[in-house]
Amino acid sequence: MIELDNLQVKFGGVVALDNVSATFNAPISGIIGPNGAGKTTTMNVISGFIQCPGKIFFDSQEVSLLAAHQRTRQGLRRSFQHEQLANDLSVRDNLRIVLDPLPGSAADKRNEITKALAFIEFTDRAEMLAAQLNTFQRRLVDIARCLVGNPKVIMLDEPCGGLTQEETTQIGNLILKIPAMCSATVLIIDHDVELIKRICTDTLVLDFGRCIAFGKTIEVLADPKVQAAYLGIEEIV
Amino acid sequence: MKITRSGYAGIAFTLALLILLPMLANGQWVKVFTSASCFTLAAAGVAFMYSRLGMVSLGQVALMGIGGWVMLRMNHAFNFPFEVNLIIAASVTMIFGWVLALPALKMRGLYLALITLMAAGGIEVILSTYRFPNGGTGFWGVIPSVAAPFRRPMIAASDSAYLQYVIVIVALCFALIDIHRRTAPGRAWAMIRRSEAAALASGVNIVYYKAWAFGLSGLLAGIAGALLAGSIGLLDAATFRASESIMLFALAVVGGARFWLGAVIAGILYRVLPALFNDWGLDADLTLIIFGAALLHAIITAPDGISGQIIGLTSKFKRGTP
Repeated sequence: MIELDNLQVKFGGVVALDNVSATFNAPISGIIGPNGAGKTTTMNVISGFIQCPGKIFFDSQEVSLLAAHQRTRQGLRRSFQHEQLANDLSVRDNLRIVLDPLPGSAADKRNEITKALAFIEFTDRAEMLAAQLNTFQRRLVDIARCLVGNPKVIMLDEPCGGLTQEETTQIGNLILKIPAMCSATVLIIDHDVELIKRICTDTLVLDFGRCIAFGKTIEVLADPKVQAAYLGIEEIV
Repeated sequence: MKITRSGYAGIAFTLALLILLPMLANGQWVKVFTSASCFTLAAAGVAFMYSRLGMVSLGQVALMGIGGWVMLRMNHAFNFPFEVNLIIAASVTMIFGWVLALPALKMRGLYLALITLMAAGGIEVILSTYRFPNGGTGFWGVIPSVAAPFRRPMIAASDSAYLQYVIVIVALCFALIDIHRRTAPGRAWAMIRRSEAAALASGVNIVYYKAWAFGLSGLLAGIAGALLAGSIGLLDAATFRASESIMLFALAVVGGARFWLGAVIAGILYRVLPALFNDWGLDADLTLIIFGAALLHAIITAPDGISGQIIGLTSKFKRGTP
C-alpha cells in the first residue's frame, strides 16, 4: 500500500503538484495524464528526488523524511522513462547493485537474483553485459531490478516506451504476474491507455498537477472530466 | 574470487618485470623504472576514477607529493620500519583525498576538474615554499646542507631489490583496484557513472561511494609518492607541480583508463620516454609533442587508449580475423 497525502510541488511560479492525495491499495495501479500533468513529478517526489510539503507512506510507514537511497532500502523500486542499466556490468551485477546495501546473506541474495532472472526468462543470459542487450531486453532487466530485495512499492515509468505492440503486450503480461511473485504495490505511469486499462485495477488521473479522478480504472476512464483532459474529448456540462 | 584472463596477464607481466628488469637495467635505468612504476600507480588511481566514475581529478601528482612528504617526514623524525611509514603516508594522503572529495559531492565534469587543479596548485605552492624534509629539525625538517640518509625496506636495500619491491607493491595495488571493481563499490561506481538518479534509485549512497573513490585514489597516490621518496631518499617540489597532474591524467587517457595496461603505458610514457630521449642526446621536452599527438589520437580514434587498441588487436588475432 502506498499513501500520498497533500503533495505540493512548485517550480518557480508553476504548480507541478497541487495537494495531490491518493491511497493505492490495489496490486497494480496506474497514473495517467497529459504531458506536463505531473506524473513523473509525482514519481520523483515518491522516490525522494524532490522534497516537498506533504507526506508519503509505504505500508503505513512514513518515508517522507528519508533520503532517496534510504527509501530504496525501505523497499521502493523504480524504473525510469529511459532505462538506466550500467552498460559495463553484467545483467546479474545490475541486479546485485540493488541488493548490495540491503542486509542478508550472499546465498539469499543469489537466490533472489536467480528468481528474478527466471521471472523475466533470463537465466541463461545472467552474465551478458548490459551493453549487449536490445531495448526490449533492457526493459525486462529493468523490471527484474525492481523485483529483488523484498520490494514494497514498485514504480514503473513508461515501462513500454519505445517498444513494439507485441513487446508491450509481453511486458504487460509480465507486470500482471508481479503480484503473484511479491507483495509489492505496483504503480505504473504510461500514456498507453489500453495497457493501463488491461493491467491496472485503480488509476489516478492528473491534469495541471491536480488530481481530477481516482478510482477503478474502467470508471475513471469513462469519467467525462478525464476524457476531456486526457483523451481530448470535450466535456459535456 | 575468480582470476580473469586480464588478471593472469597482469600476473605474468609482473613476474616478467620482476625477473627481467633488474637483469637488463643498470645504474640510472633502475631508478628510471622505479620512478615509472610509482607514476604507473598514481596513473592507475586517476584512471580508475575516470573510467569507473567519470570523474576527472587533476590533483593526483600533488597528492603524490603529500605522500612523499609524509614518508620523508616520518623517516627523518622516527625510527619506524619503512612499511609503517608507507602505511602512514598512504593513510594521510587518503585523508587528503577525502578532503578533495568534498567539492566532488556537489560538482561534476569541468568544475570538479578545476577544483582539483586548484587544490593541486595550492599543494604546489606549499611544497615549493617549505620543500621536502631532509633530516632538519622542526615540523618542516629542512636543512640546507646534505640530506640525512633514508631507510629503505630491509629486504630491498639495493636499487635493484627496491625496484622489485616497488613492482610487487604496484601489482598488489592493481589487485586492490580490481577487487573494488568487482565488488559492491565497483557496481555502485558503475551506476553513479550511468546516472546519479538511477544510483539513488538502486539504494546507492552517492556521497559515501564518491568519497570512497577519492579516498582510494588518494591512498594509491600516497603509496606512489612514498615509494618514489624511497627511490632516491630525496624529493624535489618541481616533480609535483600542478601541470604534472594534468600531464599524468592526459597520459592515463592516452594509455587507456579502463585497463591496467593503460596505466603501465602512462607510466612508461611519463618517465621512460624522456629518459630515453636524454639517453639519445635529444631534448626530453620533445616528448611533449609526442604526448600531444598521442592525446589527439586517443581522443579522435581510440577512446580506450593505446591499451584498448592492443587488447582489440589481440582479440582479433585470437578470433583469427585480420
